[in-house]
Amino acid sequence: MVMMMAPGGTKDMCRMVLDEGAEAVYVGVIGWSRRGSEHELTDDEIREVIDYADRRGKEVRVVVNTLPSSTEVPMFLERIAMYASWGAKGFMISDIGCMRLVKQTLPDVAIHTSVGCGITNHMDVQFLSDIGATYVVLPYRLTVEEIAEMKAKSGVGIEVFLFKTPSGGKICPGKCMMSSYFSYRRWIDDTGKDHFFGSASRGGDCLRVCQTNWEFEVDDTAYRQRMTIKTNPALWLEELPAYLAAGVDCLKVPGRDRSDLLVRDIVRFYRRVLDVIASSDVPDLSAFRPELETFRQRWVVERGNRDRRLIGEAEREALRAERAALRPHPINSIAAQ
Amino acid sequence: MFELSTNVATPKQLRNGDFSAYDALYLGDFSCAEYPNNFSSHPEFLAEAVETVKGQGKKCYLRLYAVPSNHDLPWVRKVIETALTLPFDAFEVHNLGLLQMLREMGSNTPVHLGVFGNLYTDATARVVKDYGVTRVYPNPELSLKEAIYIRDHTPVEVLVPVHGKIPLVISETCFILEHSSKAADGKCTFSCAQDHWLTRTKGDWSLKDTGRMTLSGSDLCMLEHVDELAAAGLNAFYVQSHGESAEYAAQVGEIYREAFTRAFAGQPPGDPAARLEALNGLAKMGLCNGYYFESAGRRYVGRA
Repeated sequence: MVMMMAPGGTKDMCRMVLDEGAEAVYVGVIGWSRRGSEHELTDDEIREVIDYADRRGKEVRVVVNTLPSSTEVPMFLERIAMYASWGAKGFMISDIGCMRLVKQTLPDVAIHTSVGCGITNHMDVQFLSDIGATYVVLPYRLTVEEIAEMKAKSGVGIEVFLFKTPSGGKICPGKCMMSSYFSYRRWIDDTGKDHFFGSASRGGDCLRVCQTNWEFEVDDTAYRQRMTIKTNPALWLEELPAYLAAGVDCLKVPGRDRSDLLVRDIVRFYRRVLDVIASSDVPDLSAFRPELETFRQRWVVERGNRDRRLIGEAEREALRAERAALRPHPINSIAAQ
Repeated sequence: MFELSTNVATPKQLRNGDFSAYDALYLGDFSCAEYPNNFSSHPEFLAEAVETVKGQGKKCYLRLYAVPSNHDLPWVRKVIETALTLPFDAFEVHNLGLLQMLREMGSNTPVHLGVFGNLYTDATARVVKDYGVTRVYPNPELSLKEAIYIRDHTPVEVLVPVHGKIPLVISETCFILEHSSKAADGKCTFSCAQDHWLTRTKGDWSLKDTGRMTLSGSDLCMLEHVDELAAAGLNAFYVQSHGESAEYAAQVGEIYREAFTRAFAGQPPGDPAARLEALNGLAKMGLCNGYYFESAGRRYVGRA
């Protein structure tokens, strides 16, 4: 049976998604997951969520999918051991070095590769399986045929997002450093944890600079005006039976940075959808279509609000850095021309 | 003493360019397999190219396609099969699956992990070393200190990009083609031969786009810091010239060759203003230091 894994961006969200039928919830550790701290949980909260899930026979996956500094790796391993001792059953990890170390020290925990691994082919899947991945999360741009081929050739657990991408565009996440190129600030907190504001890969938030208005020019002539750089994916429905038939083992509901109520409603909806798919060889999902449309609209509104907030943060941070750099320097004046 | 390298995508670029300042060349454009006569996807050009480069006394590395999907793997394998019969000094790999493929093919050719290999930690350097990697191009988000840490705590060499636009995003599909009115039928007309820029409507941010790769608007420039790099014992330096003219590669190479030669000889740094001005003249959107000094990639930090 496919495992539905839902987001836990807040403690309340965790409770809601588990109550609504998710088999597992994934929670981010402050500073260690690819989201801002408002969508990550403290250690105390994580322990409470693990206990809550455990009492209901459900599981918690802990998201530690930033790409850490080399000097943070020992701290990373200590944290993993701590959460595992509390009952966390699995971890989402991007750094392949950390992945192998976790497999060596805690062979019984499930390792989910993060979307940050940027998988593009079945040999990638084989590589990650060989170094210890239990599940590999595939990017939402892959076709059913590609997923089936990856499953057949690797045998590893296949995890996919409940997302489809309408067209091509830049690979995100996993192969993009656009946000931190424009806005980036690094500091170390009291625990010794490095923070990288502006880099999702390193444990800040992606500041969504791709979603501001851009102009595309060729040889100084306007080519396209007021466009975003990246297209946004949409939630699936009709494609779902085919994806499950291709061998998907774990369905990841997105939305750690969405509202508790939207995520609760989405999980409730997909629980019903999955139950219908499981009960029939030829499931009819047409009755779900109008309801999905309302989720898509709510999703777009919340995404827009989030993008505007993050782009605003990128602008403020850029301004702060510019003011700090105003110290006169003869060479800087050449470079700034 | 040190190695200065750059990239060459096609036989024409190799013929027409002046690479006298460089000790090594990375052959191929890892971002686009369809780019005309790209060494990364045209094994028929490799024998002559490697002979030419070796004949000039340089090391010769082959770049493999960075984002192969399932259907790309067979042709990439053929490129590797041809290259294994030739005296390449290394393959540059950006994709974990290709590391796996090289191991399965029994390749003994050294491997360099490319910029999109997502290398952030010494732990990852140890993993890829087990797959034949001898040199890594750390993710551009790493500071100089972090890159040096990896060099000091692993048996792999660290490549330090010193000049050129920073690769920021890669894709399996062509951004130029997707947004071109001329290519409604989806056919590539190689519009990437022209300069494409993304500029924020407000006008304060810019990026260069080559279709399947987005690069920083500003050119990374470490000319003011060559003495620090030499003093740190770093010795593999790279000029990123993808999407640039032959003159760019030649002029930038000449400036850094002179600077590193002086730095490694222990000679005092002169006034870099004239050379910086020359480099600035080659950079449409100015210079930056990338993430080396722990700030946003587009910032420039002058010599203290």
